[in-house]
Amino acid sequence: MITGSILRLSFAALWANKLRSGLTLLGIIIGVTSVITIISALEGMQDSIEAEFDKMGPATFFVQRIAMAMSEKEWLEKIKRKPLREEYTAMIEEGCDLCEKVSPGTWGQSDVKYGDRSLRDVPVVGVTSNRIEIVDLEVAEGRFHSAEDDLHKRRVAFIGHKVYEELFNGLDPIGKDIRVAGRKYTVIGLGKEVGGLFGAEQDERIYIPFSTHRRDFGSFDRGIHIVVKALSVAQLPEAMDQVRMVLRSARHVSFDKPDDFDVLTADTILEVLNNATRLFRFGLFGISMISIVVGGIVVMNIMMVAVTERTREIGIRKAVGAKQNHILMQFLFEALITTLLGGVIGIVLGFFIAKAVIAMININISPSGLAIAMGLTISTSVGLVFGIFPAMKAARMDPIKALSYE
Amino acid sequence: MALIETKDLWKKYQMGAETVNALRGVTIAIERGEYVAIMGPSGSGKSTLMNLIGCLDTPSSGEYFLNGKAVAGMNDDELANIRNREIGFVFQTFNLLPRATALHNVELPLIYNGSSATERRAMAEDALGRVELTDRMHHKPNELSGGQRQRVAIARALVNKPSLILADEPTGNLDSKTSIDIMRLFDQLHRLGNTIILVTHEPDIAKHARRVLSIFDGQIASDEVVPEHTRMTYQS
Repeated sequence: MITGSILRLSFAALWANKLRSGLTLLGIIIGVTSVITIISALEGMQDSIEAEFDKMGPATFFVQRIAMAMSEKEWLEKIKRKPLREEYTAMIEEGCDLCEKVSPGTWGQSDVKYGDRSLRDVPVVGVTSNRIEIVDLEVAEGRFHSAEDDLHKRRVAFIGHKVYEELFNGLDPIGKDIRVAGRKYTVIGLGKEVGGLFGAEQDERIYIPFSTHRRDFGSFDRGIHIVVKALSVAQLPEAMDQVRMVLRSARHVSFDKPDDFDVLTADTILEVLNNATRLFRFGLFGISMISIVVGGIVVMNIMMVAVTERTREIGIRKAVGAKQNHILMQFLFEALITTLLGGVIGIVLGFFIAKAVIAMININISPSGLAIAMGLTISTSVGLVFGIFPAMKAARMDPIKALSYE
Repeated sequence: MALIETKDLWKKYQMGAETVNALRGVTIAIERGEYVAIMGPSGSGKSTLMNLIGCLDTPSSGEYFLNGKAVAGMNDDELANIRNREIGFVFQTFNLLPRATALHNVELPLIYNGSSATERRAMAEDALGRVELTDRMHHKPNELSGGQRQRVAIARALVNKPSLILADEPTGNLDSKTSIDIMRLFDQLHRLGNTIILVTHEPDIAKHARRVLSIFDGQIASDEVVPEHTRMTYQS
């Protein structure tokens, strides 16, 4: 009952000083907005990356000559590795009974033409027809190539959305012939637009049958990569071990040497990526926190002024029976109302700014619980931390001195 | 037991290296329903005594019983509670909240005892009625005359039905005509059974009381009943 009445007093005091309250609010809004913008943007990018890797499915892993190198030394070591050979696919199918699907792939870059339109250095990826059953490649129109196409080394192409947009300008691409590195390929399918940070990659690609790629783009030095789907998520680690054993023996790796190839799950890649960007993310977050602290100092400063200005009011309230806690609450509530209101506005503003910024790299974000919780926690703590000192100063005033304050 | 009983109250202040004895052993008793003036020149210790009686401060030594409760050893919050329930203050400078309406100013003590908004409003309206300001209750202090402001302050002092009304120079900022109105109001309140302590340095104002305590140099110099024929009472 008393708390409710005091809360109303706090609102009234803020309302009575609209300009001052507004300026204080602005400080908090700027601070929270910057934090929320950063959090939402980072989270949006993270979600987009994760969604991309999720397409691989949880039971899927990759085998590559070099998947990633975290240092120059590692890179120089890995660069000496021999490429993965085409035959490994059959060996894995033979030697790994926990592998459900094995899909080799290879890639290169070529110029692509349709009519008088052309694109330079388009990634052309050759994969077996079962790739679409492992990796989530969504078909917008037409179809992906079949085992039949692969077997007969047909020149058929499944084009990414961006390739389609730039070459076809809205025309129906199915059945049209394009030229890839001078050779005529028939478009049989169009991928759905993926968007996002890594999705762009898929949108810009052309997929052709694996064997066609090997014939048209050479197969001597060019290594392959292999995507494997285990029977189940639970059997994933064991399946990975089986694949490693097959490859070690095929590549004659002696028992005391490490693998001369990389076997990775989407999760591992994600983890490495996260580790690599952690410092960057914390840095951004830290910088945005500075503005929150500045906002907090503004709140404290204004509250100190308010307490001094209202010394006499405090004296009157104490004389008629306000306890220390009552006065403390009144001023603390003023700080908290300001920071919470600023927090809510900051959350909304921050979200929309992040949305606008992130939209530039084709990522769409939705309001996140984390950002809202962070925004509210931060603004409440700022109110408490920077409001408590002025409020305590008010609460501890001597009523006699406060009443005679001029 | 008397409403107010003090035993050998001392109040010492440290002024730099010097210790100042603002009160030097004050022992008084004031009964319920009395109308007492505390007189004395400035620096006599009358403000200190008023602060102690009003529970705004605690003595350095000695005992003080208000309504049977030992007040001397209480902490800040306990004193606040006593002030809230037992004492209504009237100040020379009115001490109203400038931005609040008369009604809200009168409601103030009720906020801190947990009365509901409807209770507060009813009690405040009633108190404003007793000082004849019902028609001004939505005015802010700067829209009221000095006398009206002091009446709002008196209404605030009455609203909690306290045991004691403590008025510190209540006419000090008022012209003589308005002072008469305010003193008439105090006379009326006294007749209705309120206990009133009036702190003043004006003999004419003190004459409204039934009893005058003179304080000088931190001690009670005299304690006299005001003779009936010199007493100033406004009948109304």
